Order: sequence, then C-alpha cells, then structure tokens
Amino acid sequence: MTVTRIEVTPKQGEGMRDVRGDVVRRQLKADHALDVHDVRSINGFLIKSNTGPSEIASRVDDLFADPIIEDACTNTLFLTSSDHFPITPDAVITIGFKPGVTDNPGSAAYDGFQTIFPQTDLTDASISTYHTYAFFGLPDEITTEWLASTLHNNLIQRAVIADKSACSSGQWPAIDYPEKPPQTLTPPQRMELEISDAELLSLSETGLLALNLEEMQTIQAHYRDEAVRDSRKAVGIVTDAPTDVELECLAQTWSEHCKHKIFASKIHHVDPETGEDTYIDSIFKTHIMKPTHDLQNEVDWLLSVFHDNSGVIAWNDEWSVCMKAETHNSPSALDPYGGAMTGIVGVNRDILGTGLGARPIANTDVFCFGPPNWEGELPDNLFHPSRVFRGVHAGVRVGGNESGIPTVNGAIVFDDRYIGKPLVYCGTVGIMPRKLPDGRESHIKTPTAGDIVYMVGGRVGYDGIHGATFSSLELTEESPSSAVQIGDPITQKKMLDMVLEARDAGLISCITDNGAGGLSSSIGEMAEYTNGCEIDLEKVPLKQPGLSAWEILVSESQERMTIAVKPEDCAAFDAMAQLHEVEATPVATFTNTGMFHVKYGEETVAYLSIDFLHDGVPQLQLESEWSTPTPALFNPESIVLPENAGHSNLLLRMLGRPNIASKESWVRQYDHEVIAQTAVKPFVGVQRDGPGDAGVIAPLHGNPQGLVISCGIAPRYSDLDAGAMAAASIDEAVRNAVCAGINVDKMAGLDNFCWPDSIESVKTPDGKFKLAQLVRANRELERVCRAYKLPCVSGKDSMKNDYGTGEKKISIPPTLLYSVFGDQPDVRFTATSDFKVEGEKIYLVGVSKEELGASELAFMLHESGEADGIGGQVPLLPNPESNLKMYRALSTAIQAGLVRTAHDCSEGGVAVAVAEMCIGGRLGAEVDIDGTGDAGEWSRLWGESLGRFIVGVQPENEAKFLTWMAGHPTTILGAVNNSGKLTISDGYDVLVDADTTVMVDAWQKTLDMTGGVA
Amino acid sequence: MSAPKVAVLFGFGINCDHETAAVFNLVGGDSERVHINHFVSGNRALEDFDILAVPGGFSFGDHLGSGRLMGNRMRFALREQLHAFVAAGKPIIGICNGFQVLVKTGLLPGPSAEKTLPDFIQRASLTLNDSGRYEDRWVTLEFDEESPCIWTKGIQRIDCPVRHGEGKFVMPSSTDLDELAANHQLTVRYVDSTTPVGKGITDEPLPFPLSPNGSMRNIAGICDATGLVFGLMPHPEAVYAKWLHPDHTRNTAPGPLDSDALGQWEGEGLQMFRNAVEYVISKR
Repeated sequence: MTVTRIEVTPKQGEGMRDVRGDVVRRQLKADHALDVHDVRSINGFLIKSNTGPSEIASRVDDLFADPIIEDACTNTLFLTSSDHFPITPDAVITIGFKPGVTDNPGSAAYDGFQTIFPQTDLTDASISTYHTYAFFGLPDEITTEWLASTLHNNLIQRAVIADKSACSSGQWPAIDYPEKPPQTLTPPQRMELEISDAELLSLSETGLLALNLEEMQTIQAHYRDEAVRDSRKAVGIVTDAPTDVELECLAQTWSEHCKHKIFASKIHHVDPETGEDTYIDSIFKTHIMKPTHDLQNEVDWLLSVFHDNSGVIAWNDEWSVCMKAETHNSPSALDPYGGAMTGIVGVNRDILGTGLGARPIANTDVFCFGPPNWEGELPDNLFHPSRVFRGVHAGVRVGGNESGIPTVNGAIVFDDRYIGKPLVYCGTVGIMPRKLPDGRESHIKTPTAGDIVYMVGGRVGYDGIHGATFSSLELTEESPSSAVQIGDPITQKKMLDMVLEARDAGLISCITDNGAGGLSSSIGEMAEYTNGCEIDLEKVPLKQPGLSAWEILVSESQERMTIAVKPEDCAAFDAMAQLHEVEATPVATFTNTGMFHVKYGEETVAYLSIDFLHDGVPQLQLESEWSTPTPALFNPESIVLPENAGHSNLLLRMLGRPNIASKESWVRQYDHEVIAQTAVKPFVGVQRDGPGDAGVIAPLHGNPQGLVISCGIAPRYSDLDAGAMAAASIDEAVRNAVCAGINVDKMAGLDNFCWPDSIESVKTPDGKFKLAQLVRANRELERVCRAYKLPCVSGKDSMKNDYGTGEKKISIPPTLLYSVFGDQPDVRFTATSDFKVEGEKIYLVGVSKEELGASELAFMLHESGEADGIGGQVPLLPNPESNLKMYRALSTAIQAGLVRTAHDCSEGGVAVAVAEMCIGGRLGAEVDIDGTGDAGEWSRLWGESLGRFIVGVQPENEAKFLTWMAGHPTTILGAVNNSGKLTISDGYDVLVDADTTVMVDAWQKTLDMTGGVA
Repeated sequence: MSAPKVAVLFGFGINCDHETAAVFNLVGGDSERVHINHFVSGNRALEDFDILAVPGGFSFGDHLGSGRLMGNRMRFALREQLHAFVAAGKPIIGICNGFQVLVKTGLLPGPSAEKTLPDFIQRASLTLNDSGRYEDRWVTLEFDEESPCIWTKGIQRIDCPVRHGEGKFVMPSSTDLDELAANHQLTVRYVDSTTPVGKGITDEPLPFPLSPNGSMRNIAGICDATGLVFGLMPHPEAVYAKWLHPDHTRNTAPGPLDSDALGQWEGEGLQMFRNAVEYVISKR
C-alpha cells in the first residue's frame, strides 16, 4: 500500500480569496493584537491505498479540489511551486492529527474516495488530512514555535514548522501519515485483591479506578463469598478474585460520574450559627426526587422522571417532550473544541435514548469561562480563556449545526475562577409521539429476556478509555490521544435518522446511549430491566485490532447507541441499518439469569450479579459544616461619582462588562432556526440584535402551539450564600420563560450542579464548607421548586471542578444551571425585550429591594478598586408562592396579547434592563425609578432583586393590563420615546442620560472578537 | 386530481428534510422524505415523483467543500435518473446545502440556453463566506421578475434567513455571469431592505451583512435555462408562517388562524413551493 499526497489551495485572482488563511490572520489580530500582512492556506490529504498516484491524480478535481475555486497538486508540496507561491513566506506551519485521533474530513474523504473508485480493494485504506499555513509579513519578534502553539493542541495534533531561515532555503515542512503503532491484545488478567489496605488504595490509584478504600474492601469481600465462588466455578472464570474486566466494570459503574455518590451520600450537617446538627440521607432523594414525586401525584403530565436518559412530560394529546442537560468540563479543559463537541453530540444521544427514542429538536448551551481579556498569570497547562472560549464555541457550533438541531437558548458567564476549569453545559430538547404506530407508549422501554442487543453507530477504539478519570492527571507533551475524543456529527446524524425510522417501524424494544462507561454502563443499565445479559466482546467492531476485553467494555468511543431488538425483528433492523450506511452489530442478549455475563468468544471474562453491580456500592458518609462568608462590604455611599455623568458613565461600563455585553457575534454562528420552528430567536428587535430572554419554538409545522426553553445561572451569589445562588438561578430561569409567555402550570426544570470538590481531605481542607454550600443550595432548590410547582425532571452533577493543589488551587464558584422547558399555548402571542414604538408605557413588575451584595455592579467596582468589596445583602426569594401568582398573571397577559414587550431584570438591575430594551428597539425612553421600592437609589437602579420584570404596554392596553395585574406590584416607570436617548431619574434627580447609539456601541464591542469581517 | 408527489431527499447529514416536506404539504403537495439510497439502490424510482427537493443541511459534514460529496453521489449514482427527471420537465429545488449540491453536480446553472439538458459539468461554485464565519441571519431578497424560474413567479421581495458558511457564489469569469444575467438566470439577489421594492437589485457588491457572504453580483440563487431547476442559499421554508419572522412580535397580529390553512399567518416563503405545485398541476 502506498501513501499519495494531494495538496489543494485556493485560486488567486479577481473575486477569489483565501478565507481560511484570512481567518487565521484576523484571529491573531483579535486575540494577540498581532498584525500579519497575509496568511495563505493549503489543505493536504495523505491517501493510503492500493490506488496509484497517477490514477488518483487523474480524478483530483472530482474529489479533493473544486476546479472552479481551487488548484491541486499530487505528490509534491505546493510551496515548491513558484507559480502559486512567488513570494517566499516568513514562516510555514503544517498541522495534522496525532495517530488515532478522529479525523472527520479524512473519513469523509475516504467515503468520497469509495464513490470515485468503487472497484478498488480498500481494505485498510484510509485518508489523513492536514492544513498548512504560510505567513507573509510576520513581525520579526514572533517565533514560529509560538505561532504554531496558537494554532494547534499538542494533545491531539502535530505541528511541523519552517522558520524564516528554513523558508529562505526552501526546507518546507512535509508531514507524514500518522501511522498508529500496532497494539497487542492482552488476555484477561486475574486481579489479586488479597492485599493490604494500602495496596488496595494504590491499586485503585495506579489503575485509574477512582474507588475509595471502603469500596475496594467491598469488592474484596465480594470475592470471599463462597456462594459467589461456586457460581463462578460453574462458568469457568477465576473464582477468588476479579478479572481486570470485572474490576474496570465495577469502577465505571460505581464512579461518581455514574452513581452520583455525593448526592447519594449520608451527610452529617452542622450549622453552628443556628445550632443545627442533623443527618441527611441523600440530598438527591430528599431535596430533588421527593418533591418531584410529590408533584407527580398532583398533575397528569409528568410521564417519566429521573430513571431514563431525560425527563419526559406530556405536551399535548399527541406529543410528549423531554429535556436533558449535561456538562463536559474536563474534556473541554484538555481540548476545548473536541470536548465541547462531544458534549453537544453526547447530550443529543441522551434524547435519542429516551423512552423508545425521541427526536432532538433544540439545543441549549451555557458556558462559564475566565475573562476573555485576562492579562494575569496563567497556571501551567491551562489555555488562555479566549482560546478556551473560541475552541468550545467552535465545538458546539460544529456539533450543533451539523446535527441539524437549532441552538435556541444559552448564556455565557465569566469569572476569574473558571480559568481553572471551564464549565460547558449542553442541553437538548426532544419530542416524540406519545403513542407509536404499534400502540406502545413511546416513553416506556419494553425489553424482554431473549431480545438481541445491538451496538449501533461508531466503532470502539482507544479513544475515551478512562476519559472520566484521566482529567485528574497532569497533562504532558506525550499524553495519549485516548484522553480526548472528537465528535463525529455526521456518523451520529446517520444513526439518528436510522434509529427514528426503526422506532416508528416498531423495531426497538429498548434503547440507550453509550456515554460514560461505554458498553459496560449502557448494557449493564438496560440489563436491570430483564435482570441479566450475556455479552460477547469479540463481536464488537473495533477501530483498530488489539483492544483488550476490558478496553472494549469500558471505552467511551462516541456516536454509539445500544439498542435491543426482538429476534424476529432483527432482519428488518439490519436492512434499515444497511440502507442508512450505519454499522449495527448484535453483541449481546438479554437474559433473566440475574447475571451480567461477559464473554470474549467462548471464554467468560466477567460474571457479576446485577444486584452487586448496581446496588453494591457502599454509601459515602460525609461531613458538612456551614459558616456564613463575610467578604468586605460593598458600600455604594463610599463610591465617588463624577458630577453629572456619574451613573451614565457607570451604565456604559456595565453594558461593556463581559457578563452583560452582547454575545451576538458568537451566538449568530449557531444555527438557531433549522427545523423552521423558532418563533423567538436568541436576538430580537428592530435590528435583530437585542437580547432574547428565552427561546420559543413551534415544532409542529403549521401549528402555533409552542415550547419555551430558558435558563438561569448566578454563580457569584455563592460568594455570599450558595442557597441564594440556587434560588436566584431557578427564579431567573422561570422569569425568562414568563417573558415569553410560558404556561406556568405546565413547566419542568433541570438542575445541573457544578461544584468544587466537597469531600474534606488533605487536598480539600475546606470540604465541609463546600459540602454545606451544596446542602444549602439543595434546600433552597426544594423550597423554591415546591412553591413554583416546578418538577426537576432530570439533572446531573459534576463534583470535581478544581485545578491544582495547595496555594495554587483554583476552585470554581459553586454553580447551578437551572433550565426550564414548558408549554407556550400559542407562539403568535409572545413577547420580546425590545421596545416597540414611541408612546409605549413602561412598567416595573415586582419590587426593588436593598440587595446589592454580589451584584455585577459590586464586582465591577471592586475589581476596579473603587469599592472595598462585594459583600452585603444577596438577593433573596422570601415568598415564592406569591411570585408564582404574579408570574401567572404576567404570562397570561402575554398570552392574551396585552403585552408584547417584556424583559427579565437581573444583572445590572433596572438600569441595564431598560438600556437593553432601548437597544433592541433603537428607541429612547424616559424612566423614573421613584416608587419602585423602599431601597436606596443605588439599589433601585442597579440592584438585582429577584422577581422583577420590565414590561412595555401599548397605551390602548394599559387599563386592561393594570386590571389584569391587580394585586401584584406593578409600578409605572415612564414611556418610550423618539429622543434617541435613555434618561433615568429618581424623582427630581436625573441619574442617567445616555444616547442609545452610544449604549449600542458599549454593549456590542466587548465580545466582538471577530477581528473584523473582511 | 391527485396532489403532485414531491420527493424530499434525506440522509447523510441533510437536516432540513422535515420542514421542507411540511411546506410542500401546506400548499397542496404530497411530499415524502426519501433516503437517497432508496433511489441509488433502485428500491424507489425518481420518475414516480413530480418534484424533487434537495433540502439544506451538512451532507457529509461539508468536508471537501459544501455539497461536494453528496453531489458526487448524485452525479455518479443517480446520473440517468436525474437526466430523465430534467428531460421530463419536472421541477427541482435545492435549498442551502441542496443548492450547493445542485451546483456541484452541474445541474445549476446547467449547460446553456440552447442546450438545456444536463451534462453534469460543474460551472460555478459556492465557497466560504468572505467573513470566514458560518452565520444565521436574516436577509432581504429581491427576484428578477423576468426570470424563467417557475418557482419564483410573482414574488418580488421577501425576508428570510441565511444559515451557511459557504454561500459565496462564484464563477470563473464575468462573461459567465453576463450570460446568466442575459437569460435572467440570476433569479434572486441579496438587496438593501431600505431600497424601494423592485429597485433593489444591483451588480455592485453590497457590504456585509446586506450581502452575508460576498457573492459575486450579490447572487443568492440561480435557475437553469429552463427555469425548472432552481437553487438558493437562503431558506424560504424557514418563513412559511409569519410567526417565524423576527418582527412578528413587533407587528399587530394579522388575524385568527384559519382552521385548515395558515390564512393570514402564511409567511412570505410559502409561495415558492405553491408555485411549483401549481406548475405541475397546470401541466397535466
């Protein structure tokens, strides 16, 4: 087999341009203020096949190059062509993948190669891709090594470079085919557990098992049980010790990731301030599950909660909807692009694996990053926040867009502490018919013993082995490519098309996603339904031969579903897979033996009881102790404001804060309208650049019944009280949904906790406090959700979000993302934040209180040195029951068409909310905050009290609106005008006087990191 | 009389198949999502359909250039069927990725005004936006009223979203573009929404974002010489109803929903699909 090199470069000439090169040039300018005169690009393909170079060369324009816009060359480097490169570049950098890393363009090229050369023997043929960039007019002080480091991630990519002197002597970088060293299969090993406690712990550590001593001892004891030994003898597996397959399988199944051990733990909680000393037997069961189950008894629309891949609610008589959100924090820290992409395509599979299969119809994404303009120190092995931002954004963009799922809602939050660990939340909403054509209810899985279990989609490889645990290790130059994965949205899309057809044809009896823990988790969890399974790992299709049994079982290779099919339906299922060109392989059978039985060919390599596998893990016992944080106070009275322009100036600064500034240039790169259902888009208003509060979709074509999707997140309130943080997140999500006219009596929520390590240890001396933060957050979650009648139908937790140790340790602020989805009766009657027209009356719904603690204003003035601290009263939610009544009134006013303008009031308070509404409408407004509460002027202007909205009402609807809102705090603020400026006064004192165009500029420029458009 | 049968292709990363099928049904078509491999394998016959739609998406991830690998599958595996479909005078539409596919198969712009049957030679391309970014944004489109395109009859100006990273229409020389212009095959262009209706079309490149991609002569879509094969980058199906227009909360609600049609809530994009359905019926 030979390797043929093809290079392709854009034609130069009238109307043609090298956009890929130009994007690199602009990013260097935007991220590093570096001016390079010109960057040109070359795409390379290394084709390993039995087809000869001349044969390939004759068809280059049919596959590799577009003859209208590109030139190609075969088995030579374009840089040697003086026709194409008459000027010698200052630096050349070629970037290709490391061996074994997913190369999506390479796979696509290989597919196209088969179309062109259908008769060729393609066994083991493959195509690898690379990019070359040539830099012209590079400033002398820039080294080629540094430049290369900005363009690739050495965890997964290789760079070959030519610096100025190499360029002048024509020594061009020629990257070679990334050949993977052959792997040899290791037969299953006996794992000796009759060892000391210290050795047990060391085995757990060196083997990346992440099991504690008690868990290791539980496993040790299991293999001492005579009954267990007898049953093992019968199947011919080592009797008195686990195999490596079993130990790995238990480690995965019992991992924090899969078993949520902290949320399930028994917590001894102490609060010296109140004298409380109590035990909580599982935060999850107590504060999340119980309230939701109680609510399930009151309503008829909660179809499936907690036990499936996502929570399902009945939307109308024919359709149900479901939603799930996940985090992909550690992978995104290692490789922002690949980590985020696997995050979004992974959560889409959760929806596909819900019930008998739901169709993903909307994505959400929420990111928490370090400040993009960070100039401080950067700890070792961490990327600059702007690079994390770009990479994560690109991963979600490609993953979401290529999947054909609109991204309808999201948020980006910035805080220094997220430099240590970015948070990448991806969510998906799904829809399914309540009844399938064969009469089965779609939200109920129906497996029976004897069903054949298929692995469908991608193949199993080294990628993703120990993905979950690897992130705790130090990164090095030589880190294996298995640490990170890159998603393959097209393989997944083919699989999705096929699975939904199979569902409608009644061929699926059970389905789940392959995520963390791979087949071990997916088949293991499904086997609980029938109480047993038998797997043959030898049948599993591999990306490369040589994987050992345990690796096949736990690999987290992406784009795979596990699907059970009745034996009589297998032929039809196989045919459907063939049509869609999807690989579907029967690898297991459901049984009712009570055993998780894994074979490799004829040999039994794991034999564990389903009970022990799923319920054998001992409950953690943890300590929690609360103490109220006391940061320096934020005292507005001490702020020195310049005469006249004081608050106006603050407003422009606030609008430019990354947490408030427009994210439009990023969000616009997501497809938010595919499926033709998005009735309220992420950006709204006359120029379509004002902030949207929530996404609204009408997914049934021709029918205006809608769904609202929203989120809330307020991590900085954790600096004062993590309980208040949780309440604020939930309230914000609900308020955002109310602005779009959600039916508050049919809405559901998702709780996604991201916490720093909260188990007290040498590494985490303040573990008790961090656990107490978790306790308080969950208590508030229960209180608020019970009051709002808001079931938490699905959720997830990520509990180890720290970087480094000791003095250099960075822990994220405890963060709850709360997502809401629910019914919107008629999308023709919804509201958006933009002021619509001159004369519109502006109202505040809700009350402003003295609550400036941990506000965006406090953080801004503290960071600049103008204020001592951020402490003070954090926004609270003392009476959520009355809030719900107010929300119902406002939502129904929107549904009745009385209100077309509504905006949530949160970061930056009334001042920022009203400014954003002027920006969206490109209008002015005159607002008076007198009478909006008892709080001081600063609080009424900038405070972030919960339960507030700014509403615009047409004069002809004003009387009816006020009657509608009777009994709820509704205060006139002023009116919209044509003056082109916003004035805010407090009685006779004018506080703010700002031009709308100036506000637009301040709001838009901070995060426009595009480096221009041309 | 039976409703015209519409084949809406799907598979391999086509994404807009559901809504494209739905909009044909809303205007009296009888659409079916058909996996392209059904036509390749001979399971289904293209000739059984009256209209072919190639929807938007990311076929094969758009690796090696947008629409290229899907275009190749059609060029090599469906050559005869497509040739016969065009020869039979049946309408074809390609939207976004579908337009890219039709251009790369050579169905658009097609050979010439004299010799209209497909020869499957690529004459134009759609390449990376000048901005270098994939973007979802609304644009204003104006149509050449003298275009032979059967899809756009009677449509003057509409708003709709573009959602692409490779929408810049290019041809090797200005003579090529002159020829298409003379035949009124430059069916639809990006225009400045502040110009009077009917006066928006210009050959001078408009600035971003009026032209979202830097297309030569602001071209958003073209047809072949017969006017039956049509492709465009923007998504008319995405504004089948007025509630999908970004201004819908800014305007007064136009009226109640008709029980079995969109009534006054019909969006500006739907007429294009109705034109094709009515065209098929008129030819019976």
